[in-house]
Amino acid sequence: MAATTTLQPPHSQLHPAHPAPPHSPTSEGTSRPDVANPLVDVSMLKVLAQRGLVDALNSVNGAKTLVLDPSLAGPLSLVTEVSLLKHHGVDKMFWLEPGPLNAATTHVVYLCRPQIKWMKIVADQIKRLTAGSTTHTYTLILVPRRTSLCDRILEEEGVLGEVNISSYKLELIAIEDDVVSLELENVWREINVDGDDTSIFYAAQALVTIQHAYGLFPRILGKGDGAKKLADLLIRSIPPPSSRTPATLSHTSEVIDSLIIIDRHVDMITPMLTQLTYEGLIDEFFDIQNSHVKVDPALLAPPPAGSASPGTSATPLPTGLPTSTPSQSKRSHHLHSADHLFAQLRGSNFAIVGGKLHKEARRLEVEYKRHHQAQTVSQLRDFVGKLGGLQNEHQALRLHTGLSEEISTRTRTEQFNKSLEIQQNLLQGYDTTSQITGIEDLVAQQAPIQIVLRLLCLANLVTGGIKVRVLENLKREILQTYGYSYVPMLLSLSSLSLLTSLPISKHSKIPSPPAFAPIRKSFRLLSDTLEAAPKDISYVYSGYAPLSVRLVQCVAQKSAILSPAASDNNGRDDKDDAPPNANANSDPPSPLPLPLAHPITGWKGFEDMLKLLPGEVVDRTQHSEGRADTKPAPHQDRPMTTMVFFLGGCTFTEIAALRWMGTQMQGRSFLVGTTGMVNGSSLLQSLGDGPSVAFGPMT
Amino acid sequence: MSGVPHPTTFWDATPDGNSFFRKQEVYTMQWNIPDLNNFIVEGARRGGPLAIRRNESAILEYGRQMTSRPQIQLFSSSGALIRTIPWELGKVVKIGWSLDEQLIVLNEEGVYRIYDLQGEYTQHSLGSEVQDAGIIDATIHETGFVALTGALNFLEVKGWEGGRPLALASAGLSHPPSCWDVIPPDQTISRHVELLVSHEATVLSVDNLERVDQHISRGPFSKLSVSPNGKALALLTSTGVLWVVSSNFQESYTEYDTSVEGLPDLPRQLVWCGNDTVVMNWDSVVLMVGPFGSVLRYYYSSPTYLISEVDGVRIISSQCCDFLQKLPRVSEWVFRPGSTSSAAILFDAFELYEKKSPRADENIRNIRPELAGAVDACVQAAGHELEPYWQKRLLNAALYGRAFLDSYNPTDLVEMGQTLKVLNAVRYYEIGLPLTYNQYVQASPHHLIARLTARNQHLLALRISTFLHLKPDVVLRHWASAKISQSRRESEESGIVDDDEEICRLIVAKFDTLGPDAAQGVSYSEIAKKAWLAGRSRLATKLLDHEPKAGDQVPLLLNMKEDRLALTKAILSSDPDLVYHVLLHLKRRLNLGDFFRLIEDGGPELKPAANLLQVYAREQNRDLLKDFWFQDDRRTESACLALEEAGNMTDVTAKIESIKTAAKFFSEDKERGFEAKMMEESLRLITFQQQLEKDVDGGITFVGLSVSQTIRACLVAGLSKKAERLRSDFKIPDKRFWYTKLHALTEVKDFDGLDAFSKSKRSPIGYEPFVEHLVSKGFAKQASSFVPKCDAKARADLYVKCGEWRMAGLECKERGDKAKLQELKRSSPNNLVARELEQILTSMG
Repeated sequence: MAATTTLQPPHSQLHPAHPAPPHSPTSEGTSRPDVANPLVDVSMLKVLAQRGLVDALNSVNGAKTLVLDPSLAGPLSLVTEVSLLKHHGVDKMFWLEPGPLNAATTHVVYLCRPQIKWMKIVADQIKRLTAGSTTHTYTLILVPRRTSLCDRILEEEGVLGEVNISSYKLELIAIEDDVVSLELENVWREINVDGDDTSIFYAAQALVTIQHAYGLFPRILGKGDGAKKLADLLIRSIPPPSSRTPATLSHTSEVIDSLIIIDRHVDMITPMLTQLTYEGLIDEFFDIQNSHVKVDPALLAPPPAGSASPGTSATPLPTGLPTSTPSQSKRSHHLHSADHLFAQLRGSNFAIVGGKLHKEARRLEVEYKRHHQAQTVSQLRDFVGKLGGLQNEHQALRLHTGLSEEISTRTRTEQFNKSLEIQQNLLQGYDTTSQITGIEDLVAQQAPIQIVLRLLCLANLVTGGIKVRVLENLKREILQTYGYSYVPMLLSLSSLSLLTSLPISKHSKIPSPPAFAPIRKSFRLLSDTLEAAPKDISYVYSGYAPLSVRLVQCVAQKSAILSPAASDNNGRDDKDDAPPNANANSDPPSPLPLPLAHPITGWKGFEDMLKLLPGEVVDRTQHSEGRADTKPAPHQDRPMTTMVFFLGGCTFTEIAALRWMGTQMQGRSFLVGTTGMVNGSSLLQSLGDGPSVAFGPMT
Repeated sequence: MSGVPHPTTFWDATPDGNSFFRKQEVYTMQWNIPDLNNFIVEGARRGGPLAIRRNESAILEYGRQMTSRPQIQLFSSSGALIRTIPWELGKVVKIGWSLDEQLIVLNEEGVYRIYDLQGEYTQHSLGSEVQDAGIIDATIHETGFVALTGALNFLEVKGWEGGRPLALASAGLSHPPSCWDVIPPDQTISRHVELLVSHEATVLSVDNLERVDQHISRGPFSKLSVSPNGKALALLTSTGVLWVVSSNFQESYTEYDTSVEGLPDLPRQLVWCGNDTVVMNWDSVVLMVGPFGSVLRYYYSSPTYLISEVDGVRIISSQCCDFLQKLPRVSEWVFRPGSTSSAAILFDAFELYEKKSPRADENIRNIRPELAGAVDACVQAAGHELEPYWQKRLLNAALYGRAFLDSYNPTDLVEMGQTLKVLNAVRYYEIGLPLTYNQYVQASPHHLIARLTARNQHLLALRISTFLHLKPDVVLRHWASAKISQSRRESEESGIVDDDEEICRLIVAKFDTLGPDAAQGVSYSEIAKKAWLAGRSRLATKLLDHEPKAGDQVPLLLNMKEDRLALTKAILSSDPDLVYHVLLHLKRRLNLGDFFRLIEDGGPELKPAANLLQVYAREQNRDLLKDFWFQDDRRTESACLALEEAGNMTDVTAKIESIKTAAKFFSEDKERGFEAKMMEESLRLITFQQQLEKDVDGGITFVGLSVSQTIRACLVAGLSKKAERLRSDFKIPDKRFWYTKLHALTEVKDFDGLDAFSKSKRSPIGYEPFVEHLVSKGFAKQASSFVPKCDAKARADLYVKCGEWRMAGLECKERGDKAKLQELKRSSPNNLVARELEQILTSMG
């Protein structure tokens, strides 16, 4: 990773150089081997989202003060920029937060989710402003819809008559070409702890919009109680055919062959593990929020004068009041596949990222050196033309080298390795007692509580419960170390079957976790594969295949489960396999033809395996209007997209695994939908490790 | 020609001969109103109905039809009385029509009602602030209205849902304007309403942001009218000069001095006929001023009323309803005497063909290259004819021409035939909708169906729907509602109540006969609501049972006080907000006990509602939550809530109280013995911490720290005795205590203390953590002193971590591990180290 220092600085390109070799080595850099060409163009979602926002803002004429729900800032930054808001009359922006509002304009526009806490702040600010001498008009734009709950709160607070309420239907946001997300927080907790299914409702609405655009999903499959609710609601939400039904909602899709809904709660093992892909580790260590990660500004090039670089400045920040959001010295960076190097790296196991970076560094070096060889003016001109691109690549290389360096420092710590070791041992069912002791040791060392709890939940899930004496002892250790305020969280974990004390009390209504050994065996959860040239999705966790994605394979890539050898049939010599100093200019070996994707036939053949997991099984068919009896034709000849929707959130590793699957067959690519991006820590955090529950400052 | 006058009969050429206008009688009025001057008339666009009320300032002969009670009468365009609306609500300022033919009546107190054609209405108010100033004028457009208050402020109302009025920018008027008009939002660039107000000599443009003075000096104006497309403006000065100008005042189009006509006074109305012609009326004259100042006059024997249309103007007099429009180009091509257009020749050929004249063929051959165009022109011209006879002839001419064409797409022709059939049906005087082809195309067939159902013309609407292959659900729904309303009216009159069962069966059967498609589009809840409003809740319940969408049943069920059913249906809809809607509604109406009982008795079926109630109460109403849990014996939840509150408290005594409450709740549940014990521990800790704080005179905050953190804080503060006390009181395991102490001593850089501690007894955590932790905190030198205590095998690597390469080398030497030494050499950070290691390597021999 010291490669950057050997690069020619980009300012000495005025020497003549040799003609370029016939095939350009940049081809590998610009193509995106990890992401199959998506068939479904989700960019229309961005257009829809932008138009919706513009319409909502334009409903108020003239200059306005925008007060923004902080939890919407991230999602909005993915669909719009500050300049667009300014263009539509936003004069100043503030975060929606307790305290008085200092509005200079007559029009005040609130943009927030329909949540009680926001309504109370809005009501409070309106009351304060109305008491003042200046008059204002108030518009409340609720995302994604106006609810009678909000109306009621505003009424109780006595301001309903002062506000014009409208809605802005922001639903699925295309965070990548092949990933759409509702960017909702705490969905898993709301569904499984609070019993609040609001997000299932929103998910159904959003999926109706998707069907509106691409036609009905011919088949809806799913696993888990939440998946069942979502599927039922989805089918019911399609308006009955009437004179106003658009054609897309009365015919099955031509491009999407099925929707597979995975209830997060069915597979809690996967998020509890440490994600081992590059992007996964960035998330584990630096916490990716709405595709943005906070990084050391030194890793990012100074923005070119006058224009902000597109990736980094999208998050709208208020220009007025000092805000409560911590203004760190770190800068927010948008992680996106437009960064080709990142597109290559994101899904790779971190073990091979160093090699890939090294190769990229070598390639860039060769590119820069080429200017020495440019002899004629036209060659020079060609080179200069490429220079901007080279500088961008150089910049990307610097960023990812820096990030990888920080990641590898952290992966070398004792604590990280201990935690990985415990995870691997637990999955293999090896000496579970000493793994529990290992967790205890981590508590003694005061490792971050999320790490401890993730391991503990994992231990509980794979062993089916922990002896009451051992568990109470461990809980006591945790409470004494991290504070007694964690009592409610531990109780929540028990109620979720994530902490089960053995023997199970007869009165307990909480089911114990399903037996893990048969699940591990029949789903082939453990399989060794080369990280550099994966033959199985298990590469994302260095030997463990995420159960959730195995479920998807039951439907969309049966061979991967039934005959693992079949997925090995592409004996392609993956170039990442080559040693780092291999000739970067070598021709890629011609790939063998990929196996054809099989048509979707539901869960057939896997019924017994599905019974091993808790929750309902969904298998529904939707038909085109008029020809109710025709089965969705298997589209052997046409490439299809399969949409996988994670209810309750998905991890970056699961996306990586699905992307990789897409590269392993012909004729099927995956579109991932999710309620939001999660990892084990964020899931546990949502259970209430918020400041409102903690007894005091936690350090 | 069978007595049907030739189309040209109704044409009038402008004086310059360049263009033609057509004025055609559409209906002979069925009413008996001798003089329109005694009334104030408002007509709806697109051949819509007329609302008529007595002009209270006009002196009227007391006649037999007149009642002293104020009322508004609604007539169709053909003068048939649709409905009489009694008005008892104060002085009417303005009446007008909405896009879907609802009558808007606004009174001087700012109260307005929106009537449908059946006389049903909803009422809204402009707010209490308006009441004092009152409303003195208003302009009603199709999607809202603008009112002028007595305080000379303009208020805008958008839509017809009773939305809050929005104040427009202050126009700065000192007296009410002589005239003003509105550019509706769909015609402005900003998509917000704009006003044009005549003010002294100038005109002001006002919207909700600003007032712009257009700096005109020709005023004051007595009339001001905006063209249908919002682009042009017609102004009439007080001296009778008509001035037509673009609505941004950039371009002047036409001027005409009406005083040369020698008519008394100023015209009664100034309206637009299409977008390029202006029409004015006096008692017996209608004056039309065309684009280039060309003028036509029409004479009437009684006063007239003008209604502007997008493609012409309707002229209502006590005898008839006329339609005046600029002649469409295609009609001119076909029928203008001496026209040599291909369309005219085609039409001529057709007539010759009918007479079996051989010249027909010759004609066709002459226009062969343009024949397709000629056919199209005839089809279009048919659309613009009101008389079925001529429509038919034109379409036949087109058909005839088509026969000579090898390939011609007949869609237009077929559609025109269909459309004309529909238009002729609705133009029939009993229906009285004089809709032109252009208006029909602009407003869509759906709009026409809605207008017919609003007139209770269900059979015609249904037939047209079927004829045009539109889904009949809309019509049926309206029919069913009307059926119920009507049955109410009948039963009020006769006292006999129809059988609920019978009506429900009748309605459902009607839908079922139309097949599943139509039946699915039916909203039974809408119909049921009508039934309920009609006081027939039994019928309503019966109808609701047929409603497939649970969500639609809920509001009505709530109104009917079917609480349990409403809640169940809301849950079935899976829309959490609907559940909230019911919950919050019930919470307000029922007493708390009944409310809880309803939810609890519901069992698992109502569980989702109970969940949502808790989510709501947690944020908005803690007491409600406590009551709910208490009533339900939910000890654990109650305890957690108490704990959460303890966390938010700053006052330690209150915090302790809350924790005690939590402990008590836990102890009442035998499954929560562990948690209860933990609560006691935590109370013990707080007491200890309080004592600590006293001991150090408040210099350090301990309350809020965990046990481990407290020990650490004690060690950092040098209170090692206290730390030991905590260790034994809380039975801290050795390992945890050692780690805690290691961290604490490192933090305060007490390396001597650390050394002493390490020697106090054999470390239960080993010594590697010492090295690791010290290195991670940047004390590599101190760390290296602990390496000898570590496991021999790990020492070389640990030394490397401390940066002691030489020591690492020596360690290897001591153990005779050449391979390791080689490995170290390879990874050495610089030459100096490498050389040193090399020396050690050679010394090993």
